[in-house]
Amino acid sequence: MKLGFLVDLHLCMGCKGCEIACKVENEVPLSTWRLRVKYVDVGTFPETKRTFTPLRCNHCENAPCVRICPVSALHYIENGIVNIDKERCIGCAGCIMACPYGAIYIDPETQTADKCTYCAHRIASSMMPACVVACPVEANIFGDLEDPTSNISKYIMQHNGDVQVRKPEKGTNPHHYYVGGGNVTLNPLASHRVEGHSLFSKITSKMPLGGH
Amino acid sequence: MVHETLAATNAVVTLDVGLPGVVWPWLVTVNMWAKSIGTGVIFMLFYLLKKYPNEAANYRFPITVVSIIFIHLFLLFTLADLHQPFRMWHIFFTPHFTSAITVGAWMATAFVVLLFLLAFLSFIKKDDTAFDKVLLWVTVLAIPVTLYTAALMSQCTAREIWQMPTESAQMILAATLSGSATVLLMDTFMNKLSTEAKRDLSIILAFSALAAFVMYMAELVFGPMKAEEVAAVMGYISNGGEYQAMFWIGQVTAYIVPFVLVVLSIVNKNQNILKLAAILALAGLWIVKHVWLMIPQLLPMS
Repeated sequence: MKLGFLVDLHLCMGCKGCEIACKVENEVPLSTWRLRVKYVDVGTFPETKRTFTPLRCNHCENAPCVRICPVSALHYIENGIVNIDKERCIGCAGCIMACPYGAIYIDPETQTADKCTYCAHRIASSMMPACVVACPVEANIFGDLEDPTSNISKYIMQHNGDVQVRKPEKGTNPHHYYVGGGNVTLNPLASHRVEGHSLFSKITSKMPLGGH
Repeated sequence: MVHETLAATNAVVTLDVGLPGVVWPWLVTVNMWAKSIGTGVIFMLFYLLKKYPNEAANYRFPITVVSIIFIHLFLLFTLADLHQPFRMWHIFFTPHFTSAITVGAWMATAFVVLLFLLAFLSFIKKDDTAFDKVLLWVTVLAIPVTLYTAALMSQCTAREIWQMPTESAQMILAATLSGSATVLLMDTFMNKLSTEAKRDLSIILAFSALAAFVMYMAELVFGPMKAEEVAAVMGYISNGGEYQAMFWIGQVTAYIVPFVLVVLSIVNKNQNILKLAAILALAGLWIVKHVWLMIPQLLPMS
């Protein structure tokens, strides 16, 4: 079994339901995110459109975070998920520096690394990840990549040619796919970041926003 | 393809979360800087004992002590940078050997043990023959201890500018630069080295400075041709970027001025200015390392 994720960006409407479901399910602290939806506006008025891109851990087959972790806190489980043992983590932040997708953060409450685990605890109980359940348009498709009859495998076959991963040049072989993605949605360097459009960018509590 | 160029798409992030920013702060800069000195002085002691055994004999214990101090500074700041420093022991009891952090921690530990053995042999037992035999192995071990940070940085897949092979060379050059500078400074107090020995150290300092400077310039010019991420990161040290001033202050202080001062000292046979060259090289090296540590962390990853 090799579990994977696919997001159909044609369907995603940016409701952030997946974000909230993830926050609630995994008790993700304020100022940190396992899953987030990024909005990028494209074009010049009146020819504009808004794109929505859910971003989470890619559960790479060749995961740099697993390789760099000095204590195996980040590790593979048999279904292909890159899981994290927070009791073992020493908080060196090597994984944050290694992850090309910015998917890992330091949990301000435990001072250890944390990230999306594809809701491994729910999968162990034969349930779908919280974000999949919450999505009102079924833009999140989850399943076994090694099973040709699974929804995700069928989706990939049907949309052959329009299935992409983020930063393929990094050689990480992500198990997280996008349909309908483009340079703007998948490449962080293809869009401007203007101040004032970030949620919780000016946290005034004493909880650190990564780093020290 | 309308999505391929920034200007054509006019793409703007209009809603996102705050990005984490700098994760490895100045503590890591001190870590790298102190380790360069800790291993660099060992390289210099090995060289001096081979070429100038009589005058270098006085430096066996002092250099060992300096190396112990700076390696412990390196270890202290490594520990201080951890979010869970009291779990450090996990590296030894649940190690993961694909990680350069693990391999580095084990090698640094062995290095410290050998340094204390050197201190014992030079200060307590006063056995120079045994010291020199152990020093050979300490010097050999100092090479991977110096290089492991480059391996760690190359494992940071997200940070493209650290993936350059020159990073390993920069680590060695930082060690030879800071090692020679430190020994030159030590000699201002001990005054045991001959003019020839000091000239050798100053040439090592100057060559290290020149080679490191050339490599940084090559990365600045040719790096952006390698990947768009490198080009974006180099933007922080060029074209009015956030770290441009600090980058050039570092290059001038660590490399250009010390190189010129060494040349002047050799031409004028005046070794007093070597002290200034050594101080500037050490201070500038911290700035250079800090800039190189910070800039790739400014880039949004997602």
